[in-house]
Amino acid sequence: MDSFRLRDVAHWLAGAAILLGCERLGRTISEALALPVPGSVLGMLLLLLALMVYGRVPRGLAQVSEQLLRLLALLFLPAAVGVFYLRDLSAQDWLGLLAATVVGTLVSLTLCALLLARLLKRADREGVDD
Amino acid sequence: MTELLHSPLFALPLNLCAFLLGVAIYRRSGTALLHPIVGASALVAAVLWLLQIPYADYQQASGLLYALLGPAVVALAVPLKQNLAIIRRAGWPLAVTLAVGALLAPVVAVVVALLLGAAKPVLLALSGKSITTPIALALAEKIHAAQSLTAGIVVFTGVVGAVAGPPLLQRLNIRDHRVLGFALGINAHAVGTARALEISALCGAFAALAMGLCGALTAIVLPLFLAP
Repeated sequence: MDSFRLRDVAHWLAGAAILLGCERLGRTISEALALPVPGSVLGMLLLLLALMVYGRVPRGLAQVSEQLLRLLALLFLPAAVGVFYLRDLSAQDWLGLLAATVVGTLVSLTLCALLLARLLKRADREGVDD
Repeated sequence: MTELLHSPLFALPLNLCAFLLGVAIYRRSGTALLHPIVGASALVAAVLWLLQIPYADYQQASGLLYALLGPAVVALAVPLKQNLAIIRRAGWPLAVTLAVGALLAPVVAVVVALLLGAAKPVLLALSGKSITTPIALALAEKIHAAQSLTAGIVVFTGVVGAVAGPPLLQRLNIRDHRVLGFALGINAHAVGTARALEISALCGAFAALAMGLCGALTAIVLPLFLAP
């Protein structure tokens, strides 16, 4: 039982090390080449590539990632609290923000859905023709 | 005493308690309008105001959470890998919709705000509105947008999409769960993905895939246009 637990912990640590290592690597590459892409996003793409080559997701990595993503709202809480301290926005800014988020989001969501529905229908039809 | 209030020893438990309460409120209410971050951030802001802790001090004391945002972005690769098989089945329609949607979401928002006369900081923060928060924050750093404004816009966008999206598409007679999930993932990121998972597992998988790909694509393309 004990050794089983220990192995789990080792898996988790390995998973956490993979995440930290990929982030570091992505950051280093982004800085070294002065890329405009955020280092963490580069790290994510590196990990995705590695997982595709490897063929499956190691158990420890899957578990650590799941936990981390479950806590996502906690991680960006400090940044979100800053919303209550926004002072230098004009009424016009607020109006623009509100309209852009509400109207903009619903317009682009609808257009996306209509486009995909049409494309899928066409793809399905071609699939039948084959 | 004040030293303690301004240290991580106070800030981290405060964040954790507020987060757990936010989750509890969200579960009890059962509506995406009360996404955990809504209750949690209001709670933290109220405590900071009551104890007269400056935001900058609290922000600095919460450094550990900021440090974990990077690894969380990397962790997005895992659900992405698990859902990538979908691409092989649904193929090119997804790729086309992703490219169009990733472009459309920020452009529509910025144009609407521009027409209403919003200032440049607002426009910059709006450009990352439809991608998942940790990527949006990393992007905000690159294009010099205000992080707090970005976080607020992203969360609000997700809530709007998750609440109004499904009924709107149903009215348009779009019932394919693949379409619904993909549209939610592109436009309402993690909040939309959580909503999609409630609708069906298929819907959720499409949303998770769209969210990850859209975030990565936007983070790669947007700085090319906006980086100073």
